[in-house]
Amino acid sequence: MRRTRRLSLVDIILLAVRVGVVVGVVLGTWATLSAGALDASQWRNLLVFGIAQGSVYALIALGYTLVYGVLLMINFAHGDVFMFGGMTAFFVADALARAGFLDANPLIGMLVVLLVAMLSAMLVAILLERLAYRPLRRAPRLVPLITAIGASLFISNSVRGLYGEQVKAYPRVEIFQGYFFEGGPLQILRTHAIVIMSALLIMVILYWFVERTRTGRAMRAISEDKDTAALMGINVDRIIAVTFAIGGMLAGAAGVLYAIVFNQVHWFMGFLPGIKAFTAAVLGGIGNIVGAMLGGLTLGVLESIGPNLLLSGFGVPSPNQLRDVVAFSVLVLVLVFRPYGILGRPEGR
Amino acid sequence: MSGNGAMLRSAVTVGGIVAAVMLYLVTVGLVLAFSEREVITGALTLGRLMLAVPPLVAGFVIAGRGGTWTGRLVAGVVTGAVAGAVMAVALLFADAVPGVRGVLVRVSPALVAFVAFDQPATTGAAMNVALAAVLGLVGAVARATPPHVRRPLMWGALGLVIMSMLEPFVRPRLTDFELGAVSRFIYQGRGLSIPGAVIMFVAFAATTAGWRPLRARVGGRIAAADAATQATIRGMALLVLILFLLALPQIAGSFLSQVLVFVGLYTLLGLGLNIVVGYAGLLDLGYVAFYAVGSYLTALLTSPISSLGLGIPFWIALPIVVLGAALTGLFIGAPVLRLRGDYLAIVTLGFGEIARLLFLSDALKPWFGGTQGILGVPGIFGVSRIDVPVLGWELTGPTLTYYPLLFFCILAAFVAHRLKYSRVGRAWNALREDEDVAEATGVNTVNYKLLAFALGAAVGCLGGAVFATQLQSVFPGTFNILVSITVLAIIILGGMGSIPGVIVGSLALIGFPQLLREFAEFRLLVYGGVLVIMMIARPEGLVPDITRRRELHEADAEAEAEAEMTPVEGA
Repeated sequence: MRRTRRLSLVDIILLAVRVGVVVGVVLGTWATLSAGALDASQWRNLLVFGIAQGSVYALIALGYTLVYGVLLMINFAHGDVFMFGGMTAFFVADALARAGFLDANPLIGMLVVLLVAMLSAMLVAILLERLAYRPLRRAPRLVPLITAIGASLFISNSVRGLYGEQVKAYPRVEIFQGYFFEGGPLQILRTHAIVIMSALLIMVILYWFVERTRTGRAMRAISEDKDTAALMGINVDRIIAVTFAIGGMLAGAAGVLYAIVFNQVHWFMGFLPGIKAFTAAVLGGIGNIVGAMLGGLTLGVLESIGPNLLLSGFGVPSPNQLRDVVAFSVLVLVLVFRPYGILGRPEGR
Repeated sequence: MSGNGAMLRSAVTVGGIVAAVMLYLVTVGLVLAFSEREVITGALTLGRLMLAVPPLVAGFVIAGRGGTWTGRLVAGVVTGAVAGAVMAVALLFADAVPGVRGVLVRVSPALVAFVAFDQPATTGAAMNVALAAVLGLVGAVARATPPHVRRPLMWGALGLVIMSMLEPFVRPRLTDFELGAVSRFIYQGRGLSIPGAVIMFVAFAATTAGWRPLRARVGGRIAAADAATQATIRGMALLVLILFLLALPQIAGSFLSQVLVFVGLYTLLGLGLNIVVGYAGLLDLGYVAFYAVGSYLTALLTSPISSLGLGIPFWIALPIVVLGAALTGLFIGAPVLRLRGDYLAIVTLGFGEIARLLFLSDALKPWFGGTQGILGVPGIFGVSRIDVPVLGWELTGPTLTYYPLLFFCILAAFVAHRLKYSRVGRAWNALREDEDVAEATGVNTVNYKLLAFALGAAVGCLGGAVFATQLQSVFPGTFNILVSITVLAIIILGGMGSIPGVIVGSLALIGFPQLLREFAEFRLLVYGGVLVIMMIARPEGLVPDITRRRELHEADAEAEAEAEMTPVEGA
């Protein structure tokens, strides 16, 4: 009897948090909309921006989800793999821009940059798995997580040492400037359109790979049951390395897309997008590929619209300063109330 | 013959790996940063040492792989030569292609000259190969020497390096105590003089050689004594330790006292996080939140120019601060109780960041001052100087903060130690091992988890409170995720659940970087490396807790137990 009573105290706190969040969201939305702080086209721009940044999150989130699927571990250093891709490709982009190649053949040039980012990020991801995670396959669960945190710090600070501390501005690509779509009320920047479309294309390819190829089937088998998969003749170590490689390539691509949206890269940029992408992966249901895409888009939109929608109605000064608070709150709330995500099912307990 | 072939192949592989390490050290900037730091003035800098150690270790490792002794020595030379050759090629490349610097910013002409021993590139390259080969050989020879000779030599060299690192602190103190002549003999420039180096080497080597037999004898006597005598010895040792700690700032001087205060702060934080992570097994990555809450609450209550403007004395505010932080711990702990280990880590990280962003935000500026923080926090005793009557000590600045901090550390360590061996500690143990089993055997998991969170929060906020008074202000920028990770690195290095481990960890990760100014920039890099390497090589930490060691090395422990059974007859 005592036990039930004490447990219910925690339940009361949780319930209070739920009610508080719902009331806050409803009141904030109502206050903002009735005050008419932003007009319709501003909302639409925020939405498009949210989708663009959400598709970057989605690409990174896929890496978390894939690795979690096969190893059941949170690869905390994945954000830094993303950073490494974006940073390394910067030098190629810069060299191409100086040589005038990027102006002459912008599409081929950017494709080369994208490839370099994907390959370099893939290399780091493979090294990371081989050197840091493989020796810990059978260790208690928190051990690989702590290793991953250390690896994250190590990679970001190595890049700081190797490439320098300055923020690096990506070269301007002329054909990426201006509007992709300008007719009527809806305006979409070309950069946003490019990012959204490339991310979609990459995700479709990934989905095909995982669902239709032999390696993809092996990956799914391992995420079902590692030991049985090994008994069925699957080379588990190789498939895990492949998984990291694919996650790394997606992260590298995300690095370049991020640079296209935000125009700059620096050594510390892996941390926040990494955490947010992890949030996105959990939001969609970790281990679930479609879920990661959905989660990424949802989080991107929430983050761009959320602060304005929820806070400006209360007269909070500079609500966009609090966009990371929105992202982290989503993280906390999702993990506490729905750790199996939108598409997942609760684990049997 | 195939044995020799395999040996050579693995020598080349090890040489390649070592070369990669050396190239990394060079390009990441570590070598150049330490190239001015003298170990033995005129003979050896720390940067040079950094490049010399990898081939030495490689030779040592490769000579341990078996084979004939001639073969092993040859393998040592080959390993070193391969590593040196890769460095030589990189050197020639960097010399020929100045554009490298556009990507790898540290590859400056100064660095190239340093790696080339200030010679033209080709001569420098050849010297690299030759020197690395010799070092590889020395490593292989070291493997051949018996351990009772090798160990004193190694410790002699290590002691020499440490003493030269301590130069900026030892030297002024020697002068203060009117031992200027000694200091001028031992030290020269920023490093040891050559006679000083010889003295240090011999002193450390002799101590190491004498240490083992001495320890065996004294240890044997103590073990043979009866329980009452043992208790007396332990009490005496503790008393001497406490007296030493009390006198330490007077011996160390104000500059080193500042370092001690930092070490003490992180020891306190480490002790608090140790309760949460080490005892209860809840990985809290948002520990900085409690540190921040402690600081901000203290500043709000004690500063006359904060938004509350109360200006309460520190010691009266302290209970309120501790209570507030413990409640924050409960508030953060309650929602996350049912989460699995890794999710709990991420959620707490989220809480830590939310706390920082809120303190930083314009929205809460009227209360917490936004980016400007809160200024005008009075000192811990409200005065800037205290004179201790009998001893003639005057306490100012860091030495004044040192004593309350020491008190808090001892208090926290005492509480943690008592809890660990109490019913509560056993419950945490059970919880950490297997939550479901613990629950099934009647441990109230909810309460014990909340207790761990609240206690950890209370200790962390003590650190925050002292920090606020020491800095006389609080800024949101100080309370970022890196503080949480630093504290985590401290307890991982020392050993989870081990109180001496926390002290060793903060001395190594906080004290040491303060001594080496050139190191500051690479602190986080090293923390990251420490986390990874410790988890792979020695997850129980440097000063392991006995139970934890057994858990992590179950298989080894069994083998060890068997090994311990056998030599009993011989002893």
